[in-house]
Amino acid sequence: MKTIIIGVGNPILGDDGVGIHVANQLKQKNIANFNIKIDEAATGGMNLLDLIKGYDKAVIIDAVKSNNGEHGMVERISIDNFTTMHSYNPHDVSLTEAIELSKKIGEKQIPKEIVVIGIIIKNSPCEFSEKLSDEISKAVPKAVEMVLNEIKNDGRTSS
Amino acid sequence: MKIVTIDPITRLEGHGKISIFLNDQGNVENAYLQIPELRGFERFAQGRRAEDMPQITSRICGVCPVAHHFASTKALDAAFNVDPPSAAKKLRELMYMGYYIYDHTLHFYYLGGPDFVVGPDAPPAKRNVIGVIEKAGVEIGKEVIKHRAYGQKITAILGGKATHPVCGLPGGVSKGLNKDEVKEIEKMVDSCIEFAKFSLKLFDDVVLQNKKYVDLILSDPYQLTTYNMGLVDKDNKVNFYDGQIRVTDQKGKEYVKFDVRDYYKHIAEHVEEWSYIKFPYLKAIGWKGFKDGKDSGIYRVGPLGRLNAAEGMATPLADKEYKRFYETLDGKSVDSTLAFHWARLIELLYATERAKELIKDPEITSQKIRNPVGEPGEGMGVTEAARGTLIHHYKLTKDGLIDKANLIVATTNNAGAINMSVRNAAKGVISNGNVSNATLNMVEMAFRAYDPCFACATHTLPGGMPLEVKIYDHNKNLYKTLKQNL
Repeated sequence: MKTIIIGVGNPILGDDGVGIHVANQLKQKNIANFNIKIDEAATGGMNLLDLIKGYDKAVIIDAVKSNNGEHGMVERISIDNFTTMHSYNPHDVSLTEAIELSKKIGEKQIPKEIVVIGIIIKNSPCEFSEKLSDEISKAVPKAVEMVLNEIKNDGRTSS
Repeated sequence: MKIVTIDPITRLEGHGKISIFLNDQGNVENAYLQIPELRGFERFAQGRRAEDMPQITSRICGVCPVAHHFASTKALDAAFNVDPPSAAKKLRELMYMGYYIYDHTLHFYYLGGPDFVVGPDAPPAKRNVIGVIEKAGVEIGKEVIKHRAYGQKITAILGGKATHPVCGLPGGVSKGLNKDEVKEIEKMVDSCIEFAKFSLKLFDDVVLQNKKYVDLILSDPYQLTTYNMGLVDKDNKVNFYDGQIRVTDQKGKEYVKFDVRDYYKHIAEHVEEWSYIKFPYLKAIGWKGFKDGKDSGIYRVGPLGRLNAAEGMATPLADKEYKRFYETLDGKSVDSTLAFHWARLIELLYATERAKELIKDPEITSQKIRNPVGEPGEGMGVTEAARGTLIHHYKLTKDGLIDKANLIVATTNNAGAINMSVRNAAKGVISNGNVSNATLNMVEMAFRAYDPCFACATHTLPGGMPLEVKIYDHNKNLYKTLKQNL
């Protein structure tokens, strides 16, 4: 089973980049191998779908705006339950729409399982910075742990 | 007075909000578009190594990383007083065509097209790319996906990751092309040319052959008679990568043409209390409020602005389409905001034809792709982002670090015009306080045509361009709420 772990966000926009920070931490854990790839992306929609195509499973780490939960909470969200995907911009479709579109034209390479590890942010980052706020920094180890847990049984032993 | 707010509920709150003010009769008094500006870029850039700017600025926007990358690289060429070898310029321009191919394809089929192919008053759930495919057929869907991916692939071969190019350096590029890559790109480009021709044919069949749509394009709410701006080559033909900035008047006559290094002599910025962003205008004409016509300094950029600001396209098929565009829409300048969509497809055809010229150029495999840089100083760079003129301006320290950085991005250049278009559309479709979801889409169409980048710094919003319209009575009590894609 091939798995891709992908941190999403803008690394120069403060808390928006939390997904990238988590991916960077994971890179230091030595978990990447033939079956597990760690990547990062400052993009969404079709571009993000291009990056996860061909894998059996995708774990997307991203900042998430949600009415539920508290600022800094980390949640595991199945893509099927995801209507407010972060990974969207006004010149693209959302990841969920990209998936629907690709299925429609017979795309076979979409991962069977797509999981989002979402870090809930309530404040809107709007100042350029490479640093995370204190509250969101605290969420990083938790997100790392959840990703590790997610891939525990995925391809680390088989090859 | 009632206030109608159209608020794309972005993940980043408060972004891209439209407020429509109704008078006591329920008719539109005024409308404002608020586009947020992310703060602190100048401070963020200060003290960084100048060579890092093309990478950093490509992170500003997940939508046009390639445009920022090269506006930045060109500003560095100027700041380090170096002229890149001609092969390097061609490689940059070829990569730029890849960016146009995917960006313009995406806008037409995913964002602008659904209003026409599926219909402006179709239910929002159908008015999207899936609806386009249901109507036009799965085979067309496959072509769309394939050619958008080709554009990305061309960009990636030349620049590293398509979404985060790394090839631009002051004085040239870091990577050339080998013969295998040339073959691969040429094959994709040939296919893209056919796809662009097909897209124009589709536009012809679906839109131009439908009187209802032509009437809509030419209807009053979607007209705006501003100045137009775009980069042109020495023959005044549209150019995306290089040239001089040309401004034409409402009749299509040249008003001024200047080099980017003089931009601040011609462009000034107006500040409004209610907006985070500044509104650029032509300095010599002045700011006269949100008005069009020759006495107002507001101008338009982007596909329609560029076509209006030029005298043709530099490739044969696109030039033929250019002439047909003006013949069909009653000569220069074309004032219809909805004509942006047609202009965008003509540009798509140009991008594919120009890519073919560049990939066939014997110099494209040259290994002379960088010239040595001079002493650090001050420099400006300009490119045409898919959505309009983009300017980067840096002042460097003697050690080659950023002392000052200023950017004027495409949507900022269009901000005044987008505001007026939204106001005019709202005035045209809202009367006696009647606001429906279909009305909302007619207003949304006015700004979607520009392909605006709400925050040229956030790549992220939740799905489906959600909009919320809030109507308040004159005491600012909530009177009605309409939602779309929420």
